[in-house]
Amino acid sequence: MSEFDAIVVGAGPAGASAASRMASSGLNVLLVERGDPPGSKNVSGGILWGQELSKLYPDWEKSAPLERFISNKVTGFLTDDSYIGIDFRTKKFEKEKTGYSVLRTKLDGWLAKKAKDAGSTVITGITVDGLAWNDKRVVGIKQGNDIITSDLVVLAEGANPRIAIGEGLRPPIGDHDVAIGIKQVVKLSEQVINERFNLRNGAGMAAEFSLGFLKNGVKAGGFLYTNKDTISAGVVIDIAGLRKDNSTYSFNIMDQFVSHPYIAPYLEGGQLQEYSAHLVCEGGIDYVPKLYGNGYMITGDSAGLSFSNGMVIQGMNYAIASGIAAADTAIRCKNSGSYDLDQIAYYDNLMKDSQAIKDMKNFRGISKVTWSPMVHEFIPKFAESVLNGMFYETGEPKKHLMEIALGSLKETGYDRKKLIIEGFRLMRKM
Amino acid sequence: MVLEIVVMVKQVPDSQEVVIDPVTMNLNRSMTRNVTNRADENALEAALQIKDKVPANITIVSMGPPQAETTMIECLARGADRAVLVSDRAFGGADTYPTGLTVASAISKLDHFDIIIAGEESSDSSTGHVGPGVAEFLGIDQITYCSKIEFSDGRVTAERELEDGTEVVQCPTPVLVTMLLGSNFPRMQTLRRKIDATKKGIEVWNLEKLGLQPEWVGVRGSPTIVRRMQSIKERERAKKPVTLEAIPDMVKELYEKNILKVK
Repeated sequence: MSEFDAIVVGAGPAGASAASRMASSGLNVLLVERGDPPGSKNVSGGILWGQELSKLYPDWEKSAPLERFISNKVTGFLTDDSYIGIDFRTKKFEKEKTGYSVLRTKLDGWLAKKAKDAGSTVITGITVDGLAWNDKRVVGIKQGNDIITSDLVVLAEGANPRIAIGEGLRPPIGDHDVAIGIKQVVKLSEQVINERFNLRNGAGMAAEFSLGFLKNGVKAGGFLYTNKDTISAGVVIDIAGLRKDNSTYSFNIMDQFVSHPYIAPYLEGGQLQEYSAHLVCEGGIDYVPKLYGNGYMITGDSAGLSFSNGMVIQGMNYAIASGIAAADTAIRCKNSGSYDLDQIAYYDNLMKDSQAIKDMKNFRGISKVTWSPMVHEFIPKFAESVLNGMFYETGEPKKHLMEIALGSLKETGYDRKKLIIEGFRLMRKM
Repeated sequence: MVLEIVVMVKQVPDSQEVVIDPVTMNLNRSMTRNVTNRADENALEAALQIKDKVPANITIVSMGPPQAETTMIECLARGADRAVLVSDRAFGGADTYPTGLTVASAISKLDHFDIIIAGEESSDSSTGHVGPGVAEFLGIDQITYCSKIEFSDGRVTAERELEDGTEVVQCPTPVLVTMLLGSNFPRMQTLRRKIDATKKGIEVWNLEKLGLQPEWVGVRGSPTIVRRMQSIKERERAKKPVTLEAIPDMVKELYEKNILKVK
């Protein structure tokens, strides 16, 4: 007889959602989180896209600690001297809220409290060491000299899944599977943020940039998200490129981004409140391991469930969805009285039909595009050159766009054959 | 016979995160995380090390608001056996005198005690009064600022770090000992203990349980009040790169500016 029906390792969006759902169905649940309070070890940009939480808490948009709804999406390029962006605003986003900026210490604290209120035993400040096995079946978790037993273990460890890797449930992390995320939270007033970003009535902006000013093959994206009275500013850095260049450090890239001539004014006068770093899953569908086995399920980032195509970055919504799917599987097992492998396989069926897996399958290999020299070097330079050609008044006779474009193409010095291959790949994948 | 050890702990704002409100000059606690006072963790570890050798019961006693429960649970998860939180609105705003009285009366309500261990002082007010105060209210001996304690044959042997050496003091129980910050390495909490502690919960004792009069405790029982808090601005210091050749000139300059004096 196990002490718990289910043990959940990690109280992020995946783990806390799973624990909450299971506990509200009467399961005896233990939720263990190494951070104290929950969320203190977690970093996310972060925008929570989608409506996943409504499946757990119908009134979540009123009760969860959300910062601003996203009314405004910016996607762009930064070069040494220029800012090139598409600034998309639409009434549709204001009517049907599609995403909210969130701060994880607040959100994760709220989610963990919800899990506790639902009846889970929530333990914080303790790191689980590994899984307890009996006859090739997971029967609980190990911590120190103790074993805590359960019928099921839900792994929701996040982007650095030490247990899943250590127990051989998934391969170790490679350079192309993750990126380094660094984030600052800068405090300003609500009013100043509204004025600087042209926002009102709780609306917010989510901006992502390709950092075309980086040299030596180092590649990174930058982001700016508005919270209620803070701005989250950060970078996501390709590890493989960074490893090859010994002269650039990750924090240099962060410094360059926040001091860029067209980013710095947004943050000016603000007070640095947080500075954090974390791994970001980037491996795509090929990085997703087998999601279940005898006595366990893997959810959220620890299963590599995150999506990025350079313009949209998502993860928390997939985490919540996978947590709910794992919980529903556990509830089904409990009701049927069987925790056999074919019962746990139900989780895999649910996930196969999930938006997360569908999105990731659909965009298999996208990281080759999002981290391509084309996106990070060619497009920023080319666009800058074309726009300069179009808008810079020289007093000379004006040229046609095609002429400007061809000139700019030459100016970038980018290999044409490579351009055609990468361009074709970009159109196909993105 | 089982040795009864009491450990006094306090929940404090994490000193690394404390900010002073520039307007009110009060500590702004809303932004800070609450933690167990670090020296009290050393006190608990000292008790646990005694318990490693002889049969003992460790009771945690703390005075504080209800949220101090998290600190008590942490202490149980490290190895304490029982936790009593003395909590009542009437205790609010107490200075060190009624705090000592309140904690002492809670300890005297326990069936029995042999050794009381406290941290040298709390990181948020740094008075070091409450431990010695408790010993005085209870009328027992005290050994303060200890780096090490041992128990054998009904006696406590304690080492006190002095400026010019180490003093070894021996004392029969009952005795109160205060431990220096950093005097040992507190052991980790275990999940097993934390689950049990979380499920079991802690004991909360109020004014009535202690049988104290409201005018003896809290702000009413406090002979001192804090009139004003002031934050100190760090002075900008001049910096100059030093080269070997420039040293004589720099010394001369310091002398001329009356910073260095020659006898």
